[in-house]
Amino acid sequence: MYRYIALLVVSTFLMSCNSTRVVKTLDKGEQQITGSFGGPAIIFGGAPIPIPLSSVGYAVGLDTGLTFAGGVHTTSLLFGNAEVDLNMGINAFKTKSNKFGITVSPGLHMIYGFNGGDFSIYPQLEGIAWKEYGNKNNLIFGGLGTWVELDREKAYGEVQEHELMPYITLGHQFTGQKWNFQLEARYIGFTYPNENIVVDYLGPFSTGTSGVYFGISRKFGKK
Amino acid sequence: MKKLALLLTSGLLLSSCLRMDSLLFNPDDSITEYLLDDFDGETEIDLDGSYDLPDSTEHVFTLTSDLEGDLASIYAVYVGDISRIATDTVILYLHGNAGHLDYYWPRIKLLANVGSKNRFGVLAIDYRGYGLSEGDPSEDALYEDSDAALRWLKENGLTDDRLIIYGFSMGTAPATELMANKRSMQPSKLMLEAPFASDEVMVQDASGLSLPGSFFTSLEINNAEEIAKINEPFFWIHGTADSFLSIETHGEVVYKNYDGVYSTAYRVEGGEHIDVPAIMGYDAYVEAVLEFLEYTP
Repeated sequence: MYRYIALLVVSTFLMSCNSTRVVKTLDKGEQQITGSFGGPAIIFGGAPIPIPLSSVGYAVGLDTGLTFAGGVHTTSLLFGNAEVDLNMGINAFKTKSNKFGITVSPGLHMIYGFNGGDFSIYPQLEGIAWKEYGNKNNLIFGGLGTWVELDREKAYGEVQEHELMPYITLGHQFTGQKWNFQLEARYIGFTYPNENIVVDYLGPFSTGTSGVYFGISRKFGKK
Repeated sequence: MKKLALLLTSGLLLSSCLRMDSLLFNPDDSITEYLLDDFDGETEIDLDGSYDLPDSTEHVFTLTSDLEGDLASIYAVYVGDISRIATDTVILYLHGNAGHLDYYWPRIKLLANVGSKNRFGVLAIDYRGYGLSEGDPSEDALYEDSDAALRWLKENGLTDDRLIIYGFSMGTAPATELMANKRSMQPSKLMLEAPFASDEVMVQDASGLSLPGSFFTSLEINNAEEIAKINEPFFWIHGTADSFLSIETHGEVVYKNYDGVYSTAYRVEGGEHIDVPAIMGYDAYVEAVLEFLEYTP
């Protein structure tokens, strides 16, 4: 059994899927569709490999500095789970030049399993600082987020000691004429040891796991 | 929007196709014959020549396993004198999810050295899809193939009181299932090495969250619950450094849920998933197994 079902890493959907939040809030009336592809890295057969997870999302600017975003996690769907995230991007701060700002995104991540009828819900909160630069308004961004584990029990009544599943994110957005391309790295669950847990995660200091995500988005509507 | 709806609907229709159940199994069917002592591939543990057994006591043969009409010829190895099964005590060894019988042969030999050479008979099988056994592995096949081994032992004169079942890793699933829910025979003692509690614990270990196992698998393996049905004496051994099936989240839960007449536990300091007998020391391991086999309630 040793190491051979490491692909159970797919069970890390919730802690690894990129939520479909926006880095920088949209203008009022502006809309955006996104596709995200990527996931955590594990050691498999002695080599690091990324686990590809995918999601599609939609966002709309409800007001200046207030953007609703939601997404469906398509890989999870193929496993018989309806997994969605809903969140609200709030511009907490930005400079007058609109070149630097902070976006705070509270949200909910929900999953329903059609095979067992089970349902799980995870509140999430993320804060991202972003900076636009150059003529094309490319973005660099970084921040901190967390999932909140509401269930205080695990299987067989064992105590769930993880109350939060925090992550650090760092990324870059290439802004194109119509399409934007985003590359993002995450360090997930960095407060938890990653040893003796069935999967060989690739995380520094024997904690958490690292992940790489590629996103593509297109804005439309009011500009 | 219509395209998105179509995509979502298609995903849902496909949803019953993708489950992780088959990933539980990692059979190796690349061999053309069982080599036992002559096998020079990777094995879980290495034994020196002092554990070798007389060739005359090593028997490779086939059994027929009937899974609701799906007949498969599965391979087995019996170590001992088949003609004495009617009077000997026999250990049924159910191996883990990787490889085939050659891979586990040193472990089988080790059990055949308990007490003295061939003091106890040892039977081991390759489940469907493993080694030269026909068919494809599945949870139901694990149970049926293991029960085929019980039927063979019964046909050769073994009685329940002289049957001990030993499961390692994935093999702890059929071992616990057959012990908790009698089929062809009711073993008199249960031995589990590095048991896993359930697929749900695996999912929760991997994610760090309290996720239901049903999100990813349809497996019904639940050693942590099944063990509670067992009253017969129970031997549990698990490495404290098991990086695959954590002793805390899997082994200890299984052990804690046992409520039978007698149990003995070995937490092997520094033992990983596959090397517990080696880390414990073969002599100490053999002695511990012997002590349990000789225990009389």
